[in-house]
Amino acid sequence: MSELLALLFFPAGLSLLAGGLVYEWVDRKLVARLQNRMGPRWYQPLADIVKLLAKEEVIPTGVNKLLFVGLPIAALAGALTSALYVPMFGLAPSFSFPGDLIVALYLLSLLTLCTGLAGSNTTNTFSLVGATRTLTQMFSYEAPFLLTLLGPALAAGTWQIGGIDAYAQNHLLLLTQPIGLLVALIGLMGKLELSPFDSPEAETEIVAGALTEYSGRGLALFRLGKNVELVIGLTLVASFYLGGLANPLEFLLKTGGLLLGLSLIQAVMTRLRIDQTVGMWWRYGALLVLAQWLLLIVTQGTVS
Amino acid sequence: MIGGAGMANNLEDRWQQALEQVKTWARANSPWAIHFNSGSCNGCDIEILATLTPLYDVERLGIKLQGSPRHADVLLCTGPVTRQARDRLRRVYEQMPEPKFVIAVGSCAISGGAFQGCYNVIGHIDEVIPVDVYVPGCPPRPEAIIDGVAKLLQVLQGTEVTKPL
Repeated sequence: MSELLALLFFPAGLSLLAGGLVYEWVDRKLVARLQNRMGPRWYQPLADIVKLLAKEEVIPTGVNKLLFVGLPIAALAGALTSALYVPMFGLAPSFSFPGDLIVALYLLSLLTLCTGLAGSNTTNTFSLVGATRTLTQMFSYEAPFLLTLLGPALAAGTWQIGGIDAYAQNHLLLLTQPIGLLVALIGLMGKLELSPFDSPEAETEIVAGALTEYSGRGLALFRLGKNVELVIGLTLVASFYLGGLANPLEFLLKTGGLLLGLSLIQAVMTRLRIDQTVGMWWRYGALLVLAQWLLLIVTQGTVS
Repeated sequence: MIGGAGMANNLEDRWQQALEQVKTWARANSPWAIHFNSGSCNGCDIEILATLTPLYDVERLGIKLQGSPRHADVLLCTGPVTRQARDRLRRVYEQMPEPKFVIAVGSCAISGGAFQGCYNVIGHIDEVIPVDVYVPGCPPRPEAIIDGVAKLLQVLQGTEVTKPL
């Protein structure tokens, strides 16, 4: 019964969807204020989602209908499932087992993978270009992002998210692994296709990227999935690098602070080309994190 | 038994009404727009772009410019319809998912304007697709375009949606 409750309402169901909408609004509002605008009203993301859900869904000719309808559901389901292994809202994870960090990260990647598949499922050229860019970007950010989250795991000596969180509550990893925090935050922006890394959905070049042909329900589910992933990603980074999440208040403060940094980067930077994105991550992101890893392993070996 | 069925119907009606109200509220608060130029001199298009600048900040009304017709609710049309653009305009309109609305921006979109009677011009937007709101001006100011969208939202929130044809 309590597990059913956890699945439907708290912490992984409706409350997570609501949290995703709130975080999207905060992000949009902050970017708007940084651009000297008023920004959207607080219920804007909710209105967008409800409107999209109530709209007609056009299934274009030439697509595999099952995939077209199923991919958005798989994307949202993956994002929601990964929340079960993460200390959402500063509470202990609903489910936990050794090595759940890897499972959670793979479930988070499901959204990007589904977006890429959804784009290549249609015959639209813009969708295809968007899908190619989405998958290219995934291959470039995924490795550095994974390495940054494995840094704390290495320090804590466990690959269990709950264990790393407990370790981080006593050790401020922000000080010992500052490069990791930076790359993790930027990797999260790449995952969510936020402003400097939004070439997969560049509206001035390729209309709307992989989701060009999606209307109504499918688009709403993909947007919801992205919102949920924003909250989960922020939770993971805050939990690992900003001294753990012991209670809901810490959760609010730490993820809010990270979101402010995210909005700041979005507002001040312009879009990178896809080759620049890939080059940046492989040339600097991955190498920096690997150097930090090496340092970590060497110091751990000498200390213990 | 009859009373029970009546009550069930009543409840269903009320549920439907509430659902419709929520849908209307969401539609009126989140009009995503797409912009199509079917032969305009570019004057109105520049004004539409000016409307989307931070100075007017239409995101506070929930208005967002979308690239794909599949994502859009409102089609902002500028210019008269040329023979070449007619099929494209109709196709863009038909690609949009229901419910969809059209705003004709500028004198040419309303009557053909300065291009009326040209050999390559069919006429105004209304001759090709149904228009919901007309925004006059040559070109209309950004305030006028925002007012046009606001009028559309008022019609949306009213009890009946009238489609002038």
